[in-house]
Amino acid sequence: MSRIMAVAGRELKSLFYSPVAYIVLVLYLLFVGLLFSMLVFIPGELANPQPMFAWNHLILIFIVPFITMSLLAEEYRSGRIEVLRTSPLAEMEIILGKFLGAMGFYCVVIASSVVFVLTLMAFGRPDFHPIFTSYMGLLLMGSMMVAIGVFFSALSEHQILAAMSTCVTLVTLGILVGFVRQLVPTSWFAATQIRHVLGYMAIEPHMANFARGVVDTQNIVYFLTGTCLFLFLTYVVLESRRWR
Amino acid sequence: MPNAAEIVVQRLTKDYGRFRAVDDINFEVAKGSVVGFLGPNGAGKTTTIRMLTCYMPPSSGQARVAGFDVFSQSLQVRQNIGYLPENTPLYPEMRVEEYLDYRGKLRGLNRTARKQRIAEVADRCWLTDRLRWLVGKLSKGYRQRLGIADALLHNPPVLVLDEPTVGLDPSQIREARKLIAELAGRHTVLLSTHILSEVELVCQRVIIIGRGKILAQGTPDELKQQCARAGAAGARLLVEVRGPADQVLSAIKALPGVEKVQVLADGPVQSLAVVGRLDAQLREQIAALVVQRGWALREMRIGGATLEEFFVQITDPGTTQAAA
Repeated sequence: MSRIMAVAGRELKSLFYSPVAYIVLVLYLLFVGLLFSMLVFIPGELANPQPMFAWNHLILIFIVPFITMSLLAEEYRSGRIEVLRTSPLAEMEIILGKFLGAMGFYCVVIASSVVFVLTLMAFGRPDFHPIFTSYMGLLLMGSMMVAIGVFFSALSEHQILAAMSTCVTLVTLGILVGFVRQLVPTSWFAATQIRHVLGYMAIEPHMANFARGVVDTQNIVYFLTGTCLFLFLTYVVLESRRWR
Repeated sequence: MPNAAEIVVQRLTKDYGRFRAVDDINFEVAKGSVVGFLGPNGAGKTTTIRMLTCYMPPSSGQARVAGFDVFSQSLQVRQNIGYLPENTPLYPEMRVEEYLDYRGKLRGLNRTARKQRIAEVADRCWLTDRLRWLVGKLSKGYRQRLGIADALLHNPPVLVLDEPTVGLDPSQIREARKLIAELAGRHTVLLSTHILSEVELVCQRVIIIGRGKILAQGTPDELKQQCARAGAAGARLLVEVRGPADQVLSAIKALPGVEKVQVLADGPVQSLAVVGRLDAQLREQIAALVVQRGWALREMRIGGATLEEFFVQITDPGTTQAAA
């Protein structure tokens, strides 16, 4: 465990040493600010931050790839992977360390949105329960997104390629699947089942529940299985690389 | 099973697809010794080292480091090995001290042990004045020292250094060699290199590898002798004779087995280099000739058989058969 934390701590520090971290933070605040001012901060309306959280994934889809892109890709490119893998560390310790390091930074990113909640509190009295569940949802959603990022970072030596493929996957899960679901014609064989499966795959409805203040085990299971699946796939990739 | 050998390699083979990088090699490294692992680029040095350090598994065969199998007890092997990879990859954004601390954590050292060991290795690798520096700002020489310090950090019984002096300037090379020589006794060192003088200076034993196979092993002196016996390309008989220059030259040239005589120093005393079939018979004949003519024989020795010539000879595909 202390080794995992050592890797995670180093990763988190190193993210803050790079300019990417600050660009990512600024962009996130900018776009959440847009959501906030357009959908939430409206005079005369209820102090309800729900839309800000329900649409947060649309921003994070483009933010997370920049957090995760260098995690393993840069280790391959620089040759440091050799140092890492000849240290007394299990594969899973490397992966979990990298994952938790990126999660640490992700938490800083989503925590920065607290300024908007505070602004809302200054002018109204928002309901705390949905805000709490929203952050819980963001955390769970983030863990899946970061796990996807870790996986693609393990596939390539090129950070940009890792970022692009993470982004494409997240756009697919976050946006495209929802659209495709609408397009499935009712005349198709098992149309309702297909729609149901696609509906389950999409990120948006799962996050929407948390933003409404609903904690459904189905949503928790979705994000957690997604996280575990991609971390396991990363393990498979790392393990198979050894044999080449 | 008590074993004096710290590294035991048996029938180790590594295939990259259809290319056999390391082909059925066997060797042992005794505890506390410094062994040079020598070979031209692409000979399989780094591949062998990567198998020993558990970076990649062997295709077949086995290796034991510090008594642990590299395949089935990989974590224990990695705990007992200090490895400096080629080119010393580091994190440029970290500070030297911070990097060593991180590496100490990965090796499971506690806070007090880390503090103490960092001070120790920094002192030994002449890094103390650079501890607060950013790794990215270090010169090549300091980066290399940091790599060695990192390998030494957890005081491992076995050290594997892959080309530790590449890219250093001559005085840094000398310092690095001094450091490696100091490590002998306390650590078992496997030193990969293609610089021959380095091997002669710091290694007690040499293993020469070429095209994935072990071509020769022994002490540097043994290999030099082997080279001279095999009549290596550079081996020559150095003879110093006092006598009339032209007569000495022509008389020696006329002896059977002599291919070429080169005059190294002219004057009342001739210094000659004889190239040819340098067996004992020829040496006796030269001695007899000199005595018979009433000249004076001042010196006769086999010279010029350097490790370098041996190395070139045995790693050159054309002459391998002849040398073996």
